[in-house]
Amino acid sequence: MLLLVGAIALWLGLSDAALAYVRAALRLPLAASGLVLLVLGLVALLWRPAGEMASHGHGHGEDGPRSAWLLMLPVVVLLLVTPPALGAYAASRQAPGSDGGSVGDFPPLPEPVDGVVPLLVNDFVSRALYDRQRSLEGERVRLFGFVVPDKGGGQEYQLARFSLFCCAADAQAYTVVVRGDAVPRQADQWLLVEGRWLPEPVADKLAPSTKSPVLITDSVTTVGPPADPYEHGLYGF
Amino acid sequence: MLRLGGSATPAREVAPSASPPSETAPRRPRLFDARLLVLLAVVAVGSRGLVAQFFDSSAVQFWSTLFVSIVIQALPFLVLGVLVSGAIAALVPPGWLAGALPERDVLAVPAAGLAGAALPGCECASVPIAARLRASGVSPAAAFAFMLAAPAINPVVLVSTAVAFPGRPQMVAARFLASLVTSVVVGLIWSRVGREAWVTRAYSRLVQGESRWASFTETARQDFLQAGGWLVVGAMAAATLQVAVPRSLLDQLAGDPLLAALCLGVLAVALAICSEADAFVAASLRQFSLSALLVFLVVGPVVDVKLVAMQTGVFGRRFAARFAPLTFAVAVASALLVGRWLL
Repeated sequence: MLLLVGAIALWLGLSDAALAYVRAALRLPLAASGLVLLVLGLVALLWRPAGEMASHGHGHGEDGPRSAWLLMLPVVVLLLVTPPALGAYAASRQAPGSDGGSVGDFPPLPEPVDGVVPLLVNDFVSRALYDRQRSLEGERVRLFGFVVPDKGGGQEYQLARFSLFCCAADAQAYTVVVRGDAVPRQADQWLLVEGRWLPEPVADKLAPSTKSPVLITDSVTTVGPPADPYEHGLYGF
Repeated sequence: MLRLGGSATPAREVAPSASPPSETAPRRPRLFDARLLVLLAVVAVGSRGLVAQFFDSSAVQFWSTLFVSIVIQALPFLVLGVLVSGAIAALVPPGWLAGALPERDVLAVPAAGLAGAALPGCECASVPIAARLRASGVSPAAAFAFMLAAPAINPVVLVSTAVAFPGRPQMVAARFLASLVTSVVVGLIWSRVGREAWVTRAYSRLVQGESRWASFTETARQDFLQAGGWLVVGAMAAATLQVAVPRSLLDQLAGDPLLAALCLGVLAVALAICSEADAFVAASLRQFSLSALLVFLVVGPVVDVKLVAMQTGVFGRRFAARFAPLTFAVAVASALLVGRWLL
């Protein structure tokens, strides 16, 4: 049992597969724990003749192995189903109008590349909603995210990306309403969208905003999904 | 004091009578394991199409992603916990830890609570360690205080709280204080009211004379198997709750202060977010007052579905049924009081 879980953990730690579920920083601990489990499993396998210890177990011999079968479940789900990274379904379940990030002043925008400033979706949303300096005004930005179709079936869609700090259970979607793209888009399609922010009054930092910011776009490119679908760095983490 | 014997005797009583007939039993589960695994693998590959169809629904995929994520995220910490637990079993002479703490609970419990600051990591690591502490003679109340404090007041959690609430250091202080108070109060209440009989499972003391390496690896392995299965149960419950409860529900409940606090407390239990990340989730819930958010932060690391499941697996259902509500009540009260004072 340990060998199986250990091997999977090691594989997850060494490959990109875990990035759909947890943040990249967890990969090394994951690989390390996989290695540890493999060692423990091998030791038990080779040294089993020390069977005395197994009977002492935890007072009730079956309890150890019996609940341990449950460990098969995530393995089975992971291997058979390969759950996808959080996408349009999860994003559409959240209330609109994502909350901004840090409460303090925003650092200056990154330098434009070829006249366009590439921004993380969470950064764009926070600035649009809360930046008193209105750093986005007049700037041409490029956002990278996936499509969340409009619930009403309208022409507009939302571009979203999840930010996560630990694992998918704490992920939050940051969404931007995209206007000006005439091409109908599929849910979960990854796009590079360039455009300008539609200026709106900036909300008070402490009062939640209930609307998503709007991006007026004139250039949309379809791309493949990234290795790491989640954003980080909203709080410098 | 009977304490030392109290936790070890039930396990020892069962073991001697179990060893003669189970001489051959340890061999059987081994073969049973391997053949069943092979069978399972064959069935799984064969039914891949069917299973994939069932999992095609978006909601089920969402659930699977959450479920797998929670398990993956918790795994390294669980491994860390069982390694420490194994090290305690193998390297620390029995009774030393109990001797290192003050004799009386009134002093031992707060000391153990403060000691929790030394263990960085999510809740999953603290459960096997607390069980091991108990088995090596530390008073149960002190062990539980440690178990509650460690996930909540370690440096990583405090730093992440500071980062998630910039310009509001009082949040960090409040979290530290309220969590420590919670762990100490629960520990003291347990030392008065708690009974050994409620803990129906216990880690046994390993036989003397085994090599330290063997005792370390075997302990760690057994602890992992026992706690790991229950972690899976907790992860399933948490994933189900996240799928079932839409986040937009929260907006409506934010109005009334007491209701908001309770609602966030319940949410903290349901979501089972690890303690390093819950500060960021809390910071995003801007419609709630800081006091209500404090309740969320204090309740989360000490009682949630993941923890309750693991406590059930490691200490028994009767224990969990009493311990969890007690912890919840104390955590909410402590957070509200500290919030009133500091925030």
